[in-house]
Amino acid sequence: MTVIEQLMVRYQQADEDAARALIEQLSPQLYRFFAAQRLGNPDDASDMLQDAWLRIHRVRHTYRAGEPLLPWVYAIARRVRVDSYRRRRRIATREVAVEVLPGAPTQTCDAGELPPFDQLIAHLPSSQREVLTMLKVNGLSLEEIARATSCSVGSVKQKAHRAYERLRGVLQSQRAEKGGAS
Amino acid sequence: MSQREVTQRELDELLRSQELPPLPADRVKQIEIALTANLKPVRPLAAESVYLAGFATGFIALCAIGCYFAGQSGWHALNSVQKLCVFAPLGACAALLVFSIVRQMTPAAKHVRSSAVLSAGAFLLLFLMMAAIFRPVHELEFVRTGVMCFRTGMTFAIPAAFLFALLLLRGAALSPALTGATAGGLAGLVGLAVLEIRCPDLNVYHIVAWHVSVTLVCAVGGLVFSVITSQRRATS
Repeated sequence: MTVIEQLMVRYQQADEDAARALIEQLSPQLYRFFAAQRLGNPDDASDMLQDAWLRIHRVRHTYRAGEPLLPWVYAIARRVRVDSYRRRRRIATREVAVEVLPGAPTQTCDAGELPPFDQLIAHLPSSQREVLTMLKVNGLSLEEIARATSCSVGSVKQKAHRAYERLRGVLQSQRAEKGGAS
Repeated sequence: MSQREVTQRELDELLRSQELPPLPADRVKQIEIALTANLKPVRPLAAESVYLAGFATGFIALCAIGCYFAGQSGWHALNSVQKLCVFAPLGACAALLVFSIVRQMTPAAKHVRSSAVLSAGAFLLLFLMMAAIFRPVHELEFVRTGVMCFRTGMTFAIPAAFLFALLLLRGAALSPALTGATAGGLAGLVGLAVLEIRCPDLNVYHIVAWHVSVTLVCAVGGLVFSVITSQRRATS
């Protein structure tokens, strides 16, 4: 059993120190998971982080000792992300915009740079975006992603491959545009 | 910049080197306080085999009770080939659904979707088998007898759905739609099994329209019910 899996077992037994340690260890990567997929502003990511922990707390009895912890955590996190997206979409349909607030200046890349991550992955469908985030931002293995997303390893590989192909195409066309402009 | 190929390494570097907004420290503290206040020990979910046995026992027990009260005329009306063609895929479908539903109780379990898809395949096989082995027979009271059968099927399917929902409450289903449809489908199979053992009417239209429909109605009902309840929970 890894350290975080031991902490999880102690958390189930109501060990406060273990709960704190687990929250401190997992929160940064969970936050990156939510923030990297750019579903709104950073506040949304921290709200989702809080929702994820509340849900983890509520269903902590469903973790079985000896099972890998990260896929279990990410399976819950991706459910929180989906619910949050739906909730926000529902609210958005009921809201009426009264004024247009000045938006944050978007990061643009110079001719020699590559575009920021969020701009780049915005070109991907959500399933590919999710797999790429888990793989490259959170550093999960293919097997762990497969368990977290209830897919086969082959399907995860295929999504990652397609995401790479698409990103390569986007970057290529951006370079071509810039090359033409200069 | 030159229009050279974007290499895999370059892409990997780009994805790794991204800076994301920093995690607000006060938020982590808030989470810690919220979760550690009143922290109580929990009993981990029992082994999968326990739930497999629970669902399977519930399924068999409800079928047995149904057959005891509703009768077994249908069983005697079927020949050996028909019994095999009906009950083998029905059993396979039920077993796959039980397997899938138990897996759905735990986040990040393996083979959740594949077993649900396989059970849908087994159900399709059952449907095709029934359409192939039974023949159309002219019936004078197609609707009246059909409604009676449908009602009998639902009489056993609904308690089964409640029983399965009770067992599911202990778990953490992350795909409410899939879990609802699976549990509903399994409850519907209880109704179908009872009807196949009870009803001696071998008219293919009667079987398809009034027996098989119990399973489909229950699966759709389970799906709708779980989606509505999960949406309400999410909104509140």
